[in-house]
Amino acid sequence: MALTQVDQGLLSTNAQYTGFKNRIINGAMMIDQRNAGASVAGNSVYTLDRWQAFSSVNSKYNVQQTPSATETGYATRVNAGFTNYLAVTSSSAYSVGSGDYFGIEQPIEGYNVADLGFGTANAKTVTLSFWAYSSLTGTFGGALRNSAHNRSYPFSYSIPTANTWTQISITVAGDTSGTWVGATNGVGLDLVFCLGAGSTFSGTAGSWSSNNYLTATGATSVVGTNGATFYVTGVQLEVGSTATSFDYRPYGTELQLCQRYYLKNFFAPIAGYSPTSSRADGTVVFPVPMRIAPTALEQTGTASDYGVYYTGSGTTCTSVPTFASPTTAYGGYVRFNCSAVFSVGGGTLMAPYTTGAYLAWSAEL
Amino acid sequence: MIYKYLPAVEGEQRILARIDDDNKCRMTCTEQHPEYLAWVAEGNTPEPVDE
Repeated sequence: MALTQVDQGLLSTNAQYTGFKNRIINGAMMIDQRNAGASVAGNSVYTLDRWQAFSSVNSKYNVQQTPSATETGYATRVNAGFTNYLAVTSSSAYSVGSGDYFGIEQPIEGYNVADLGFGTANAKTVTLSFWAYSSLTGTFGGALRNSAHNRSYPFSYSIPTANTWTQISITVAGDTSGTWVGATNGVGLDLVFCLGAGSTFSGTAGSWSSNNYLTATGATSVVGTNGATFYVTGVQLEVGSTATSFDYRPYGTELQLCQRYYLKNFFAPIAGYSPTSSRADGTVVFPVPMRIAPTALEQTGTASDYGVYYTGSGTTCTSVPTFASPTTAYGGYVRFNCSAVFSVGGGTLMAPYTTGAYLAWSAEL
Repeated sequence: MIYKYLPAVEGEQRILARIDDDNKCRMTCTEQHPEYLAWVAEGNTPEPVDE
């Protein structure tokens, strides 16, 4: 029988069944361009792609992408479809002071949440869902915040059993007050998983506030116990009052979403030219336009990891590749520095001389 | 960690090298880079170009 009428029930639902319903990027913790699974101290740095550690005191916890299935009860996570998770391990028993704060956050670009209408009478309800695991039990906390950190919504959730993956769902009525950046490349909405915060940054769960709250009052302090763990994966923020199935996106698509904010390029040779006898310049075209024009270039720190081919020969660099202008949101202009062997104005190919050589640009929020 | 200016190139903006504690340069940047600006805001001053 031919389909002649769409079920009105499907049309009236608020649930989003199409792709890209999840406003969180790398919610399944699959992408870790910077560290490739290595552990890093949670000292106000980006860790796994799009997930930033922040802390008022350095070296109180470490963060690591973990693809292994070795933790107690891992089958629950694996069966839910998550091969990776973000692992936090406390590295001391720190007594949190009133002005202290520790956490993991994902600032979401304004363009990706402008339709939520926060700050207007038409603000939409959103639902946050994720899987959490800890060696500790009790009430844990986090928050949603605006860019200026003068609107925040502390939330709490329970992990009742230690070392057991627990699925969490939190529904938040959209904020009808305050200033939200809307459709810009600034921070449209900030999601925080708190690992410990003092009274200055703790507030009543379940309502919007004009304070910069990072967590709910009374939440468990992960950094307060040496060796304590907090794992999270499957993070999804979607429109509506119900948590729906996780928005699995193709790996390549998720990687490109991450590359708008950070690009680590294990590059193929770059076509360029030599403006002087000791310099070769060229442009790497970014796979996606970055959020803003980067202002820095990262590399391995070893000059001999890089080299230049020219008129039938090749030479290693004498210093590391450097940032050069014009670098835009669409491509990075780079400079390779060598001994004076090039013909001025001649063509060059700038290349990695070791397998681990890379060039990286950041446009993070 | 320190920042040090690289030799100027005519017509281009100034570039700084971040020198890490192991004396390696893993990043070069402009004077507008947020990490560099935060370092300056802490009261630090970049070193001049090597003579």
